[in-house]
Amino acid sequence: MSSSEDKNKKRTLVLRPSSRAGNVSVSGRYGNQSSRTGSRKSLSLGGGSKVLDKSHVHIPRPAVRVFDEDNNVVTPQPLYQADPGTAQAKGSRFFMNEISGGSDQTTATGSFTMPFSKPVFGSSRISSQSTIESVNEEIEDTFSKRDQPISIPDVKLKKSTVKEPVTEEMLKEIIDVFLTETDTISLLDIPSAFVSVDADEADAVIERNNQYAEVCRNRMGNDKYVNRSVQTLNGAAKHKHVQSDSLVMVDAAVTVTTWDMFDTLCNLEQEQTIRSPQPEKTDFPEAVLDSSRAAERSMSVGSTVSSVSASSSVKDVESSGNTANTESELQLIMQSERFQHSLLVMERSILSNIFQPQLAAYRQLLVLEVMFSDPDSPVEQREEDTGSSPSPSLRSLWVFSCKLSRGRSISSMAWNKKNLDLLAVGYGQFNSGDQEPGLVCCWSIKNPTWPEHFIHCDSAVTCLDFSANSPGQLAVGMHDGSITIYNLQSPDKSRVISSHECPKKHLGPVCQLRWIQQELSLTGEDRAEALFSVGADGRICKWFVFGSVLNCTDLMMLKKVTTMKRPGGNKTDKTEENVLSVLTPGLCFDFHPAEPSIYLAGAWEGLIHKCSCSNTQEFLETYHKHFCPVNYITWSPLSPDVFLSCSSDWTIQLWKQDQLNPVLGFTSTRGAVYDVRWSPKWATVFGAVNEQQLEIWDLKTRILDPVIVQPAAPGVTMTSLLFVQQTDCVVVGDSDGQVTIYQLKNLSVGEGSQVNVLEDLLRSAASR
Amino acid sequence: MLTRRIQGQKGVQGIIIVNSEGIPVKTTLDNSSTVQYAGLIHQLVMKARSTVRDIDPQNDLTFLRVRSKKNEIMIAPDKDYFLIVIQNPSD
Repeated sequence: MSSSEDKNKKRTLVLRPSSRAGNVSVSGRYGNQSSRTGSRKSLSLGGGSKVLDKSHVHIPRPAVRVFDEDNNVVTPQPLYQADPGTAQAKGSRFFMNEISGGSDQTTATGSFTMPFSKPVFGSSRISSQSTIESVNEEIEDTFSKRDQPISIPDVKLKKSTVKEPVTEEMLKEIIDVFLTETDTISLLDIPSAFVSVDADEADAVIERNNQYAEVCRNRMGNDKYVNRSVQTLNGAAKHKHVQSDSLVMVDAAVTVTTWDMFDTLCNLEQEQTIRSPQPEKTDFPEAVLDSSRAAERSMSVGSTVSSVSASSSVKDVESSGNTANTESELQLIMQSERFQHSLLVMERSILSNIFQPQLAAYRQLLVLEVMFSDPDSPVEQREEDTGSSPSPSLRSLWVFSCKLSRGRSISSMAWNKKNLDLLAVGYGQFNSGDQEPGLVCCWSIKNPTWPEHFIHCDSAVTCLDFSANSPGQLAVGMHDGSITIYNLQSPDKSRVISSHECPKKHLGPVCQLRWIQQELSLTGEDRAEALFSVGADGRICKWFVFGSVLNCTDLMMLKKVTTMKRPGGNKTDKTEENVLSVLTPGLCFDFHPAEPSIYLAGAWEGLIHKCSCSNTQEFLETYHKHFCPVNYITWSPLSPDVFLSCSSDWTIQLWKQDQLNPVLGFTSTRGAVYDVRWSPKWATVFGAVNEQQLEIWDLKTRILDPVIVQPAAPGVTMTSLLFVQQTDCVVVGDSDGQVTIYQLKNLSVGEGSQVNVLEDLLRSAASR
Repeated sequence: MLTRRIQGQKGVQGIIIVNSEGIPVKTTLDNSSTVQYAGLIHQLVMKARSTVRDIDPQNDLTFLRVRSKKNEIMIAPDKDYFLIVIQNPSD
């Protein structure tokens, strides 16, 4: 637009340096005079220090003015008008002083200060004060200076100090120190806006005040004064991003279970009780450790559950790792007691799997017959079952045998009185030939392949028995006459007591041992138990334990009775005859189940003597029948006053206590009968073992023959027999070291214990 | 030596002894089977033990038998070790 061009043209600026005192008309706009500032660097003005050097003031500086075509000064003035009353005022004063030298404007000072004290700049005001403008110019300069945030004060402040090395001579010098007072530094000077009434300027001030009041009054509606609003400019906000280190997040989880809490509590208590004498400090870390370990354990539960594949791959790596550690660990584990126990239980479990049908039959559980038979011949079995009352038979369940016991002849067997699954078997030479060291094996039903305990004895074992009061004690009688009591519950089975050093021990092999409960003790619960033995030296002894030594008293001497038939009532003859008699070996004895003081003793010459504990000299009765050594005597557990005896004369005799002659006699084959036992369940059933076979007799069925006959394996002699207490099984030991368990099958004896049947039988037999 | 008797029993396929960390220390099976058994059985026993003890914290697991169609796995767990035996009863 042409008008604007004109304006522009109008505005061509001409820069002319001019003197300070030149008149300047400023149209009221201040601009920046940045071009000027270059020469003004020496002036120290800034926000910080308000110190003005006098010297700097006097530096003449070329003022740059901008004139437009009309010779109007349009030099840009600084926009920023600083707050007066500071060094500006001071600086202005200087200028004022200078200027006042050339002019007489003393009042100008007063009037000059006003625009500063009242920061209301009317543009007209400035323009009206031509004399002040020169001063303003200076002030502009100073203002321009102020526009620049100069680093001059900083420069001033930072002085690089050069350090000189301090020498000793310098230290010894006498240095004069002058103390001077610096000039007064005025940091802030706000001149008072009040003027005293008595002052010289008072009138002028009053006049001006009045003028101003008038102006204010006339302000309203006056065109001279324009209301303008000012807006503060808000600085532009700047977004700034801040980044911090990423937070490391860790997931932690704990599975708490009831037992976890219980364990921690127990461990804490344990720690406290164990460490109570020690200082408290140690308690806490331990407890914390344990709880943390427990927590770890519970945590590891969670972690291992997570991934199977991962864990197995980890294990692969781990297993290929240190083997040295695992070796020692393995040794540690294997020697620990708990491991032994675990092994024991494991072995039994495995064996119960293997022997499951047999064990079930033993325990009288319902067993499928098919399990026993071959898979090839199931038909036969079924036929047998459906048939009418098959014949009684024995079925071999299993055999107790191990390499330790193979080849040794079994001399005696005994059940444990408390643990009915434990069977003690004594191995010793049957025929008194070379006596090799004996062996006692305690077998458990739960493990047919390896004995629970085994004890090596010094000499061949001839008899053994478990104690009833202390079920862990096993008394073993040996071929050399000594009796040893072993405690099976002690870990190393050290012998508890031995009669080896006892002077009154048996001189020959101990033929039979028994623990007998005799009289009621004071408490009434435990019956006093004593160990009785009969030996080949003809003595029946009762043993006591004194400390760790066994000692005995003779209960009876088995004297040889030379005459078979006793002279009627001639006691004196008998005693005379017996004065020089020799003791005859006693082979067996048995105490009456109901009257503990009466017992029977069987002698080598076939006589059975009834004796009493109270009478150690004489027999009460003597039963004659056998003419060979009586191998075993046994009272019937069910029927009172009935006893069986078996002897090497191939016979078994059934006696009643009050009859001197046997009621019944049984013979089946030609062979010495080594053992005879009553069945604990039926009064009419008993079993016998002779050289060739095992016989089960049932007196109810028939008297003349055994009901069941089980021949022995060829070359093997059956030597001992035991009935099992609660089941229909029979244990047979033979000369080869094998203990066989047989189950009685189809032995239809009938209900009840058959005592009446036996009674009737005996009565009928006696009456014959 | 101690486990020889068990090894000689009828139908026993293998014995593994695992230490408390789940690493097999002795085994009669091949390596991969051992590692597999050890890892899996460890978890099973932990779970079983946790079950037993949750019901009654004073109780503890003494023996674990897992019978399957083909065989039976018997585990005797303890604080320091596991004894694992695999048996085929019908062998």
